[in-house]
Amino acid sequence: MTHTILICDDDRDIVSALDIYLTSEGYQTVKAYNGREALRAVEQNDIHLILMDIMMPELDGIRTTAKLREDNNIPIILLTAKSEDADKILGLNIGADDYITKPFNPLEVIARVKSQLRRYTSLGGAEKGPGLLSVGPIAMDDGAKQVTVDGAPVSLTPIEYNILKLLLSHPGQVFSSAQIYEQVWNDPAYGSENTVAVHIRHLREKIEINPAEPRYLKVVWGLGYKMEKE
Amino acid sequence: MKRIQDGIPGKLIAWMLLFCAVFMGASCGLKALQAAPYLGGESYQDTGQFRNLLREYRNQIAEAFALDQELEQADLTYVERQQIMERMQQLEQSLDPSATNFRFVVRSAGGKVVTSNLEEGTILADQVQEINYAFFILGEFFTSDAGEAYAAESSIPPGLSENTTSPGKTSQEKTVYTVECGVPSMDQLGTVQDDFAQISYRYYQTNYCFSQWLIIAGVCLAAAAAALFFILWAAGHKAGIEGIVSTWQESIFFDLYLMVMVIAGTALFALGWYLLGFFYSYVVERPQLEPEYGWLSAAVAAVCVLFAAVIALTLRTLAVRLKAHTLARTTLLCRVLVWLWRRLVQAGRWVLELIRSLPFLWKTVAGFLAYFLCNTVLFNEARYNALAGAVWWLLNLAVLLLLCWWAMGFRKLRRGSQAIAAGNLSHQIDTHHMPHNLRCHADDLNNISLGMAEAVGEQMKSERFKAELITNVSHDLKTPLTSIINYVDLLKTTGQTDPKALEYIEVLDRKSQRLKKLTEDLVEASKASTGVLSVNREKIGMAQLIDQALGEWTEKLEDRKLTVVTALPEGETWVYADGRHLWRVIDNLLSNCAKYAMEGTRVYLDLNRGHGQVTLSVKNISREPLNVPPEQLMERFVRGEESRTTEGSGLGLSIARSLTELQGGTFDLTVDGDLFKAIVSLPQAN
Repeated sequence: MTHTILICDDDRDIVSALDIYLTSEGYQTVKAYNGREALRAVEQNDIHLILMDIMMPELDGIRTTAKLREDNNIPIILLTAKSEDADKILGLNIGADDYITKPFNPLEVIARVKSQLRRYTSLGGAEKGPGLLSVGPIAMDDGAKQVTVDGAPVSLTPIEYNILKLLLSHPGQVFSSAQIYEQVWNDPAYGSENTVAVHIRHLREKIEINPAEPRYLKVVWGLGYKMEKE
Repeated sequence: MKRIQDGIPGKLIAWMLLFCAVFMGASCGLKALQAAPYLGGESYQDTGQFRNLLREYRNQIAEAFALDQELEQADLTYVERQQIMERMQQLEQSLDPSATNFRFVVRSAGGKVVTSNLEEGTILADQVQEINYAFFILGEFFTSDAGEAYAAESSIPPGLSENTTSPGKTSQEKTVYTVECGVPSMDQLGTVQDDFAQISYRYYQTNYCFSQWLIIAGVCLAAAAAALFFILWAAGHKAGIEGIVSTWQESIFFDLYLMVMVIAGTALFALGWYLLGFFYSYVVERPQLEPEYGWLSAAVAAVCVLFAAVIALTLRTLAVRLKAHTLARTTLLCRVLVWLWRRLVQAGRWVLELIRSLPFLWKTVAGFLAYFLCNTVLFNEARYNALAGAVWWLLNLAVLLLLCWWAMGFRKLRRGSQAIAAGNLSHQIDTHHMPHNLRCHADDLNNISLGMAEAVGEQMKSERFKAELITNVSHDLKTPLTSIINYVDLLKTTGQTDPKALEYIEVLDRKSQRLKKLTEDLVEASKASTGVLSVNREKIGMAQLIDQALGEWTEKLEDRKLTVVTALPEGETWVYADGRHLWRVIDNLLSNCAKYAMEGTRVYLDLNRGHGQVTLSVKNISREPLNVPPEQLMERFVRGEESRTTEGSGLGLSIARSLTELQGGTFDLTVDGDLFKAIVSLPQAN
């Protein structure tokens, strides 16, 4: 089944660039150049995902998102030139599912689109059960020793696996490098915990779309690491 | 209400009412005064007038007896005898029952009736209201009161027998007669119109009318007061004119006016008092039947009216002046005092100005000399004079207080300048109660701090404006940049085989990526330097942070063949900082190492703590010779080499410094040959 994606930005060149990328990935696209057109397009077409700019004439992305969320749960990814945290938080609070800051990497856009679509279409996601851990798209089956992100299996080293298991079983809790070392290596930490940081970075590269800007496995600078609570 | 207040008729009526009321009140008051002596007692016989008259009649009896004795003397001339006879006749007529209501019985020492004016067969007790007992000695012209008890015994009064009737003297020489006399009560008074009848009539009238007179007098006084009140209320108001109108009376100085009025009032009062005394002696004390002295009471009332007029006029002009607020201006004394006060203030100012314009040094010397002189003189004097001693103490106390005042002012000034020097430009020194010279100084300091605060505020504003501008421009740059990056990327996928085209695409790709990095850094640098970033300071573990940072950078540094050597103190080192900002600082420093450090060298990370400070130093050997001083390295867009081919934007160190300062720390760079050292200091947390 091919998915239809609404691309909405007041800059036509960006829209057509995105159109080329998404079409080459096999998606159908619908174009809109402001918030009103986006609302109309959603009414007239069967849209599965929306990519939308924030700063647009007539009706901006935040208002459009708020309007759409009144009776719709189509995944929305905001494209924004604003890189301030406050704007991202506002966008997510208003009902957007993800955001990408401009200027964006086309590969990141494709990855995020895929991720959102998989979550939207895989009904209910992974069922909870003993030995099953999940946060967002990351799911761990402890019995099968298997980790999937958006359903795609990821291969991890045993240490990375154990670190991820520790963080997944306590979402929201911050673990310092020393704590992680003691729990995973089962050894008291004697200044050898700096390897933890390297492992975590590798882990981040494997499970995050943009490791420089992690959405789930977060670095709490000066304190440790945590798995974001949903 | 306004019309009544303004109207002339109302005022005229009020004045008339005042005068009439005072006149009537005074007349009634005099009537009451006239009646006052008759007040009290149970009958008219209790009044003083009655007693006086009774004594007069009694004395007539004694006189008659005395004259009778004189007649028996043989050696009288005819004329004398005639005169005595005439007087005797007068007395007899006066004492005759047909001429008077006075009734009497004269008894000799033995109790025998000598003479009487009673009708035959009547006794005195039935005829009169009350019997009055008296005695007289034959040959004397007056009677003396005697008690009822001894009179009844008809004997010689005890005092008399001891003093005047000494043993051995014949009773013929000193014969004592007893007089029993009296007047009928009011109802039994006959038709004879004598003084007793008059007194009785007056008594009757008085007891009946006194209270009426008083009430009328009171009503009249109340009316006069009401009229006066109206006059004062309406004073100064005139029909058709708003506000208070002054008349010629108000153009006279109030104190002069008052003086004239007081003199007039005093004169009138004296006159009134004189007339009243006259009235009292003629009308009240000795009631003369004829004439009535009506003119006298009228004169007293008229004087009262004049007196009331004087008071009313004075009060009226006072009221007008008070209403117009011109009392002080139209008072001579007040004017003189104001004039004097102004001169005094002027003189005081002049002296103060003189003292102020003296140079400070002179003032100090002159003040000290004056103090020294006074002190010496008083100290010498104090040996003999206790007062001088006390003054000496007071003087020194005053000087001490003055010095304290100065010292306190100086301390305030010192604190203020310290605060300003410490950067608190909004601090204003409180110049209240400061000595003059210090206050001038404090004012200057306040002005400086105000000016500086303003300048700093201006600068902050312009910095913020700049930051906003940069942010906006960056946003606008990002949109076309997005297209460039994307289309360059798309261009790569078009299957170009021309090596030249591929090379050009590669250049486009690199430069667009660099442009992206530059715009991002630019926004961050401007935000960090203007302080618009929010800072959430919390307790951060430095060792943990360095560990995390190395985790991010180790591999990149190893790619550059750089070895990281860390020296951390035992245990965790805590600081108060914003984790994300501090990470950016260390990230920038390590990125710097990765970009500019010479390959194959070591990078040293040293963490130290002590004296409430935590310092992190990052040392590396520069690949290129560092030909710029460290201060310039922190300037924006300055990099360690002149050619701008490397990937850096030249903003990293500037951002690192701004972010460190935002968190309350300091950021220093030193360059020693090719050794590059960055030191980040932050306050330690416990």
